[in-house]
Amino acid sequence: MTLVAVFQDSIGLFLRMFRLALHRPWRWKDIFQHIVQNGIGSLPIIAISTAFSGIVVTNEIAYHMDQALHTTSMIPGFSAQFILRELGIAVPALLLVSKVGASITAEIGGMKITEQIDALKLLGINPVSYLVFPRWIASIFSTIALTLVAITVTMACAILIAITRFNFSFLEYINTLRHFVGTNDLLCAITKSAVFGAVTPIISCAYGFRCGGGAEGVGNATTQSVVTSTITIIFLDFVLTYLFTLFL
Amino acid sequence: MSIRFEEVCKSFGPKTILNQVSFEVPKGEILFILGKSGVGKSVTLKHIVGMLKPQSGRVWVDGSDVGAQDAIGITAIRRKCGMVFQQPALLDSLTVLENVAFGLKTPQAKQVFGTLSESEIRKTVVEKLALVNLEDDILHRRPPEISYGMQKRVSLARTLAPGPQYLLFDEPTTGLDPITTNTVNDLIFDLSRKLQVTSIVVSHDMGCALKIADRILVLDQARVLSLASVEETRRSQVPLIRDFLRETLESENRGHA
Repeated sequence: MTLVAVFQDSIGLFLRMFRLALHRPWRWKDIFQHIVQNGIGSLPIIAISTAFSGIVVTNEIAYHMDQALHTTSMIPGFSAQFILRELGIAVPALLLVSKVGASITAEIGGMKITEQIDALKLLGINPVSYLVFPRWIASIFSTIALTLVAITVTMACAILIAITRFNFSFLEYINTLRHFVGTNDLLCAITKSAVFGAVTPIISCAYGFRCGGGAEGVGNATTQSVVTSTITIIFLDFVLTYLFTLFL
Repeated sequence: MSIRFEEVCKSFGPKTILNQVSFEVPKGEILFILGKSGVGKSVTLKHIVGMLKPQSGRVWVDGSDVGAQDAIGITAIRRKCGMVFQQPALLDSLTVLENVAFGLKTPQAKQVFGTLSESEIRKTVVEKLALVNLEDDILHRRPPEISYGMQKRVSLARTLAPGPQYLLFDEPTTGLDPITTNTVNDLIFDLSRKLQVTSIVVSHDMGCALKIADRILVLDQARVLSLASVEETRRSQVPLIRDFLRETLESENRGHA
């Protein structure tokens, strides 16, 4: 399975998604089912992981700030900026790649090797519109929502640590925060999460459709899908961060 | 109203799967395609429904050149064909009812049957399940919750639901018990005789072929080794066909013993 072929398939799938998005029906029932299965189903792992990452980041920022500047007064600003622009977005996106992306590749790969995809074609159903489109829309909505949850949880943990370990009061923290964080940061978070949510299912489906060679083939496709999606998300994170620092 | 192969060639990489394969299946006939594993039997079926395109040669379905069709043309050809795959190929996320009803709810089916009510769809599904000896108590179960043999029969019911003119069977009885195998064979025979449905059955089972086929096509080394009636095939002196016949005879003798 060459990377170039998967890249070409992914571009093709993206174009198909935009075309399908302009036409009804959207099949809301299936979209809702995927939101529940992949979005709400991922809530616990994302909440727990981002909670701990919020605690770790606040501690790290405080330690290095104290070492370099001999003050911890800017903890709220730095931690909030880092959480809103990076941590609260990248961590859920990468978790969703390994949880939802892997499951999509395995499911579609399994359908491919058991001839379910061929059966769909023969019944007159386009596998892309039936299988990919609902997952794509659900993933975009879910990733945005989960990112907002992750940011809230991470911020709550950061505030908790700032209050309990570094003697900030809640109001003091929020007041300092307001000088550093604006609506642009939230816009950055939503845009990035929408892009990550759109990319993950496309790459995962492309690997699933190219899957072959029995159970081993499904395993290989899933592994490659997670690796490619992870690298793509980190690369896109870099590009988007660079663009946001230029324009926002 | 026929399926015709004209000197079809197909290769995958350096391996030639079909080499100048030609045959015709007239309306209402049951053609068995026999051959060793990997000889191109399933590939032959996939050419009929446009899932594969020949490198050279042509495949005709009802006078339409399958390889020359656009997406709409291919959809029209697929609407006429029902295919039963080697594996049940049921959608695991749907119930048995939803799986069998799937082909009745597609836009193509709506053009033929109109929009069917839920009760009409259910009635059709129950009828098709009854044809393959399944009761309606499995309607709301998902494929992983029923046995493999039942899954294969549900798959057959799903294929029959939209009323295809051509039925393509890719080893339909693999993994089935002898009783269900006979049921499926009887069903193929009945559909062909009563409804004039044309059937192409890919199989290793010479015994089934001798019972219900009108003609038997044997593929070997990417070519048509033999295309003959059942009686002619029985009398054939071609070594590969003799091997198939001997194996069938031995398994029948083991069955009687």
